[in-house]
Amino acid sequence: MDVIKFAIRKLIGGIPLILGVTFISFILMVYFGPDMTFEMLGKNPTPEQIAEVRTELGYDRPFLTRYTEYLRELATLDFGLSDSSGEPVSDMLLRSIPISIALVTPGFILGNLLGVLLALVAAYHRSGWIDKAIMGFSVVGMSISFLIVIIAFQILLSSSYGLNLFPVRGWNVHSFYDYVMYVTVPTLAAVFVALGYNTRFYRAVIVEEMTRDHVRTARAFGIGPRKLLYKHILKNAAIPIITRIMFSIPLVIVSGSLLIESYFGIPGVGKVTFDAITSGDQPVLKAVVGLTAVLFVITLLVTDILYRAVDPRVSLK
Amino acid sequence: MSAAIKVADRVPDVEEHPESIWDKAFYKFRNDRAGMLGLGIVLVYFIAALGVWFGVWGGEWSDVEGPKWGSMSAEHWFGTNIIGQDIFQRNLYSTKTAFEIGLIVAVLSTILGALLGAVAGFFSGTWIDAIVLWMMGVLDSIPFYLFVAAVAFALQGNPWAMHVAMVSTFWTTTGRLVRGEVIKLKNFEFVEASRAIGVPQITIIFRHIVPNTFHILLVQATIVFVAAIKSEVILSFLGLGVHDGVSWGLMISESTLEVLAGFFNNFIWASVFLFVLVMAFNMFSDALQDALDPKKVAES
Repeated sequence: MDVIKFAIRKLIGGIPLILGVTFISFILMVYFGPDMTFEMLGKNPTPEQIAEVRTELGYDRPFLTRYTEYLRELATLDFGLSDSSGEPVSDMLLRSIPISIALVTPGFILGNLLGVLLALVAAYHRSGWIDKAIMGFSVVGMSISFLIVIIAFQILLSSSYGLNLFPVRGWNVHSFYDYVMYVTVPTLAAVFVALGYNTRFYRAVIVEEMTRDHVRTARAFGIGPRKLLYKHILKNAAIPIITRIMFSIPLVIVSGSLLIESYFGIPGVGKVTFDAITSGDQPVLKAVVGLTAVLFVITLLVTDILYRAVDPRVSLK
Repeated sequence: MSAAIKVADRVPDVEEHPESIWDKAFYKFRNDRAGMLGLGIVLVYFIAALGVWFGVWGGEWSDVEGPKWGSMSAEHWFGTNIIGQDIFQRNLYSTKTAFEIGLIVAVLSTILGALLGAVAGFFSGTWIDAIVLWMMGVLDSIPFYLFVAAVAFALQGNPWAMHVAMVSTFWTTTGRLVRGEVIKLKNFEFVEASRAIGVPQITIIFRHIVPNTFHILLVQATIVFVAAIKSEVILSFLGLGVHDGVSWGLMISESTLEVLAGFFNNFIWASVFLFVLVMAFNMFSDALQDALDPKKVAES
């Protein structure tokens, strides 16, 4: 019961954030955004035709009306028709979001899991050569641009100049085998880049927990390394780790896959967004920005509940 | 004899060195080999950028003078690209572009973060703080690439759209850190003392409190510098970044065509130049962080 009350309070508290995000992006993208009128008209339009298209696109209505209309669309999840394809935006999103999730999930899980593992190894051998090697690797990973990693992995793994094992680009998935073939190269690239940042962050967190007094005391009492790790170190390190993982979720789904999807030509939500950016397709952009903001608020809520789950001292008040 | 001098060199002289975080940090930084190496490499790049800036070299980056996809030679050190432009010259020019973006974004977003973070921290718990926190939350929850695209639309293709978008999103981390530090600092006795003798609030914030956050600002500025250079590459690839001149992002973007045809010079050299600069800057930034971390300074 407490949790439900807390959730409702949190969701109401998230409203200013959603309003802010939608308002700023609305001003930038719709009010100052590109005027699509003449792209939708033929040559030599009559003034009546121009007026008709402007009414259709909603350009002739006052600013506040259009903004509240947008909020209503967001609340009902009905974003109208795409300007460029004429398809309902909700259909486009329903089709592309599962593809993005299927594409991002393996890399996201592996990137964080391996990050924590490498961080544990590094922290365990702190200041030894293993630690230095892992940290050196992670600085290298942090310093290579994601774009370079993608191109390099593509050359090495899926072109005739390299091993030529996987399809070069696209997303033609009909079976699990296809899925593995298409997802491997993007996943490897994503893991490579994520490992640099993740390992470093997790190592810092774990080293901080390892050097606490209670860990030293527990060790002095003869607690075995396994129990020390799970109960005394990882459990305390859980809060920063959860924070990092949870907060990267909303951005990974849109921003993270935007580059991969537009490079590999995968029709996920990142590709849909990118196409909407290049063609100025406002209904799609409005939908993506609005939904990301909502996702953010939900993430904040879930994160707070997770805090409570790992640390009973955190109160949901 | 020389050994003795060396030892004497390494021991910080308490008489000459007052207990300042900067003296200790400088001493510590000088002994950080990776950090000094990083700083050295960054300086070499910086000189290359200055040379382009003053027109000493790199002026021929757009001349079409070589053969298509020429290989590495004495004339064209790194070969030529798809239309015969010299890749070495283009790399030099891209260094300038990268420094321009990095410096502008780092300086402006650090200033913005310091100003808003300090004000929010000093008035923490009031509506001013609430507004700044709300702004940070909002800016952090707009997807970055969409935000850049939106700013580019709003500024109608202005070449500074990318800089504006980066500055207006990158300040939030700095702002949060400064806010936290200011909340801590504002309860210190020196603040109370200056309040007691009637120093105006603005003077207290910007003369007495903000200078005590400079170690955070310096480290954050280096982190933002790296982030800006790396973002430029991806944004330029997506067509949202640099439009005038050439940058590593544009070079890598054009090289994707050449790579398919089996010509790797453009891709490899742009990547190597970019990687070495970012790596060196990261090493420099790490050493700076180690040197300026008050906890670690206290230990040494």
